[in-house]
Amino acid sequence: MKLKSERHGSVVVMGMKGKVMGGPDATVFRDELKNHLDDGIRKVVIDLGRVDWMNSSGLGILIGGLTTVKNAGGEMKLARTTDKIQSLLMITKLVQVFSTYETVEAAIAAFSE
Amino acid sequence: MSDEGKLIVPSDLAKLEEVDGFAENWMNGMPFTKDQRDDIAISLSEVVTNAIEHGNAGIVDKMVTVVLLRIEGGIRIEVTDQGGGFNPALVADPTDPENLLSESGRGLLIVHHLMDEVDVEPVSTGTRISLVKRFTASNTG
Repeated sequence: MKLKSERHGSVVVMGMKGKVMGGPDATVFRDELKNHLDDGIRKVVIDLGRVDWMNSSGLGILIGGLTTVKNAGGEMKLARTTDKIQSLLMITKLVQVFSTYETVEAAIAAFSE
Repeated sequence: MSDEGKLIVPSDLAKLEEVDGFAENWMNGMPFTKDQRDDIAISLSEVVTNAIEHGNAGIVDKMVTVVLLRIEGGIRIEVTDQGGGFNPALVADPTDPENLLSESGRGLLIVHHLMDEVDVEPVSTGTRISLVKRFTASNTG
């Protein structure tokens, strides 16, 4: 997995790319998220549009991120979930846990609603 | 393309990429759709992760054996660990509201949805999980 972060005002968009399968991916994500929280960011969008596929460890990374951000008093949203990821969210009932948006822009805009 | 592929890796999650690449190359030319290939890749990563973390308890010297077999109308994947046994019935329901925020425990649930057959059996060396994925009528010509 590759991870790239971009600031959009008070929001950080963390874009995942490639195959998200846990192991080293989890450490990369946790460390980057912690850096953003340490910088005072409390609005996080995870852009999944360039993810080839994700397994349950990848879902675990997202849940860990959601918990971490919430515990810091912030919010985390998912953008551009692929059909495959959306089906995994349905199978695991994690659709009840995550807020998902079709575009990054829609996810960013949702913070101000 | 060989009718059988075999790869043995130590219990290190960093080896997941190697396993994924090995299976991807082995399946090259087989009549699977992109969606089916993703189903197989996800499921293989799930059972290898399970073998490393639970079967072999993360002990790096314990090995995970991956066997890929071409069978009539599809493929079978066999992943064997060297652990002390694994009872899938003891895995907590990950869709129970109490477990929804757990960071793990969803692997087998996903595999059961993505593969056509899933079988867990004890063997002399540990536990073997077998997965079958069939070609669909539309892509077998």
